[in-house]
Amino acid sequence: MSLDNLILLTGRTISQGVALEGGKASRENVRACGICTFDADDFKKLDCLVGTPVKVITDYGEVVLYSTITEEGPHQGIIFIPMGPWANQLVNPSSQGCGTPTYKGMKAKVEVVKSGKVLGAIELIGRLKEA
Amino acid sequence: MVVKIRTVKDVSCPFCGTLCDDLEIDVDIKTDLVVEVRNGCQIGTRKYFSSNPSDHRYMKPLIKVNGEHKEVSWDEALDKAADILVNAQRPLLYGFSSTECEAQSRGVELAEMLNAILDNTASVCHGPSLLAIQDVGASLATLGEIKNRADTIIFWGSNPVHAHPRHLSRYSDFIRGYFRTDGRNDRNIIVIDPRYTHTAQIADKYIKVNPSEDYELIQAIRAVLRGSELDVKEVSGVPMDDIKELVEELKSCNFGVVFFGMGLTQSLAHHRNVDTAIRLVAELNDYTKFLLIPMRGHYNVAGANQVFTWNTGYPYSIDFSRGYPRYNPGEFSSVELLLRDEVDASLIVASDPGSNFPAASVKNLFKHPLISIEPHKTPTSAFADVILPAAIAGIECEGTAYRMDGVPLRLRKVKDPPGDTLSDKEILERLIEKVKEKLGE
Ligand code: SF4
Repeated sequence: MSLDNLILLTGRTISQGVALEGGKASRENVRACGICTFDADDFKKLDCLVGTPVKVITDYGEVVLYSTITEEGPHQGIIFIPMGPWANQLVNPSSQGCGTPTYKGMKAKVEVVKSGKVLGAIELIGRLKEA
Repeated sequence: MVVKIRTVKDVSCPFCGTLCDDLEIDVDIKTDLVVEVRNGCQIGTRKYFSSNPSDHRYMKPLIKVNGEHKEVSWDEALDKAADILVNAQRPLLYGFSSTECEAQSRGVELAEMLNAILDNTASVCHGPSLLAIQDVGASLATLGEIKNRADTIIFWGSNPVHAHPRHLSRYSDFIRGYFRTDGRNDRNIIVIDPRYTHTAQIADKYIKVNPSEDYELIQAIRAVLRGSELDVKEVSGVPMDDIKELVEELKSCNFGVVFFGMGLTQSLAHHRNVDTAIRLVAELNDYTKFLLIPMRGHYNVAGANQVFTWNTGYPYSIDFSRGYPRYNPGEFSSVELLLRDEVDASLIVASDPGSNFPAASVKNLFKHPLISIEPHKTPTSAFADVILPAAIAGIECEGTAYRMDGVPLRLRKVKDPPGDTLSDKEILERLIEKVKEKLGE
């Protein structure tokens, strides 16, 4: 299943803050930041179980993340990814001339990828080194 | 076995811009390990525990040889780092927000010697706020004023329950103040955000704004405040009646404050969001007392802006390539320079752009030599050519940091730095000496 016409927001979460102090290479960091948070009604349309990997695609890139349902909803049509390496594969680097990238408000699309792997932070960012 | 404990009190937490200064840390005297943290939030507590030895803590200088990090002496690592910097045409010095002010000023000194780009993390978070404040000024206050006086608190595009966990209990919500003797009951909390955040869930009023449409909403509020009738049913997803009701609430409060976050600075309108918010706050002062305070993220990003400004005249994104400081974040911010692939070597101090910059700029960061001054393994340091292991400021060395409202506080040392680690300040001082030697100064 897939969902189109979503808006991607990124931002801080307390688990993201705790995980980055607990080691950025850790699985804890993946569980805290390698997740895409859906509005409960949107998630039903994906017809999958919580935790199923999803691929999120924007004009700027794509990344595989674990899916989860938001505690900070309803926010129909919005997906939220905690700031960090995963979110930054998808954000708009353009600053509209002010120097600060546009980390919030990208158009996004989501596909369920039942066999997808959510990479660890170092492995994910390492692909940029090789690319 | 009896564990002998040393307790350090009144410790300032070196994590977020709230810079809580009431932590108590217990350190085992024999092992010098942190064994207990009191008063900190989950994140602050974790930061103190993260100073204990772990497999992701750097203890010795490392340089990359054939794709592997190899332990070397300080002299060898600094020599290699200095070589990289001296031979670069357009080096970037970036980070500085998670370290103390003296290290930041050494960063300025080094950047000037190298004719480098000097930038701190404001360029990816509250840079637009600084631009707006430079454009139109701002009515600011210390958090003590807010605690004692504010009866209406707006969190706009900020979610302190997650990003500044003790902000609400220390300054802005639950805390009792001189004129707010009943704490939470004496305050009206308003949250404006596209998501019904955990902060919104404990607020008195939640206004759901469409993503990236804050600018329009602020302008509509200003129009209503001036008595204009808008011929629309809603603005940015907010019904006109709600906007009118909000304006009445704001006008009739005794002392209001807007705490704004990256919901304003990182969405499409960037600094335009902030400068129109500043104007709104200025206009509200025709009716009552109103202020605004940016929710700064890193514990000393405000200090980095201060130190850079008093040394160069500018708070971030400074270009020394002509031998004197120039400022134009749209051109000289780290992300912009990296996107244009202009940077040919980087020195990253206490920061992790590998995790925090958009992928396209990280790609270009990694194309060129990279030096990382960092206590822990991060997606940046893991790919660095030289790693200079740092003591953690505020835990293993002292210094000064500026809270989000611009109040400087002393950071304490609660234990000795482990292994061969040195403070950021000392590492930068040694690096400056090496660079001087190589430049023949
Ligand atoms: S709120 Fe911020 S400064 Fe206070 S303890 Fe938590 S992380 Fe540290």
